[in-house]
Amino acid sequence: MSHLSEEQLDQIIAEERSREQAPLNEWRTIAARAREEGLIRESESSRWWASSQPWLQSAAAVLLLVGGIAIGRTTIALPSAIEGPAVTSTPPASTASTAAASGSSGSVSGNATFASVDDASAALNRAVDAYQRASVFLAANNASVGSGDSLAMYSARAAALDKIENATVSALQSAPHDPVLNQYYLATMGARVATQQMVARPVVLRGF
Amino acid sequence: MPFDQLDLKRAIDGDERAMQRLWSQHSPHIDAVVRRLCDDAELAADISQEVWMQIFRALPSYRGDSQFGTWAHRIAVNRTLNALRKIRRIAKLEVDIEDDSAMTEQDSDRTFMAESIEQAMTKLSPGARAVFVLHDIEGYTHGEIGEELGITSGGSKSQLFKARAKLRKLLAHLMDESSTVVKGKGHVAPV
Repeated sequence: MSHLSEEQLDQIIAEERSREQAPLNEWRTIAARAREEGLIRESESSRWWASSQPWLQSAAAVLLLVGGIAIGRTTIALPSAIEGPAVTSTPPASTASTAAASGSSGSVSGNATFASVDDASAALNRAVDAYQRASVFLAANNASVGSGDSLAMYSARAAALDKIENATVSALQSAPHDPVLNQYYLATMGARVATQQMVARPVVLRGF
Repeated sequence: MPFDQLDLKRAIDGDERAMQRLWSQHSPHIDAVVRRLCDDAELAADISQEVWMQIFRALPSYRGDSQFGTWAHRIAVNRTLNALRKIRRIAKLEVDIEDDSAMTEQDSDRTFMAESIEQAMTKLSPGARAVFVLHDIEGYTHGEIGEELGITSGGSKSQLFKARAKLRKLLAHLMDESSTVVKGKGHVAPV
């Protein structure tokens, strides 16, 4: 009977080592046990956050959205009108997301009124989703920034995000349970990691 | 302040969100080693719960001498091996009563062809499996394995040799005509 060679077995082992696997338990199972043992402390702020209305959580998301736009505008000099030519010449795969972004922003702009808190929450969620997709699209397609400048742009963005991170970490030391600060912190960390990857390996920017 | 450090401080204070972030960040690696050391998914899930409780209980004693992931990984290996030792003591009694089962297992091994290394590992003896997982997958030295399992370094080497020989046999059919490992047969998709 034939056998795998040692090298072939090593190859299979290497694949196994890097294989992604789902967690064995859900967090709520672990949390329930930890709560039983008194390892989780029920703080006032976490109780407030857990029991807060969805619209409060959505309001925090809007703060993130506005902050994100501000960061984006100050660090990459985003053109104020991107809809026109961009939509007409976008690649097919991106058209749907751009259209969705335009549609969503329309639904929450101007003097829109909402029939209920749920309506408003849904509109906020759509806006956040559209913002995230639009950001990804712009990062890949924004022709206003030449490829020669991309490294400088990402470096500037990384430096700005470092400052924001330092500020949120300082704030969190005084108010570790503040939900808005936590959201800012996590969003900043995520953006910083993504930006650092870009600095290390700048993407090839595609024009429209 | 690194992400882990801030979360650690808050997790020690019992902040659930910080604890959840630690779990999210480290559970893929921690759960993977528990899963590989056990050959039963349900048992692995139970042991993983115990491992995480132990990690959270021991958080205040973490001094930062090593990376948090490394420290937590040690707890996972230690706790899993202890749990398996207890279970096997009970299982050994059951096998002694019905010792026909061992023979049946050997017969089925003759025709068994593993579809993945995960499946093939279930055919290793508990000791050989632990040595193989710790050495070849987790990167432990034979000395470290000896300490964990209470065996000599030479014993660890010998178990590893046997484990690899058996795996090479059980996975032989994954080799195609050009003598390369069939792509995609190295493992099965996670459930």
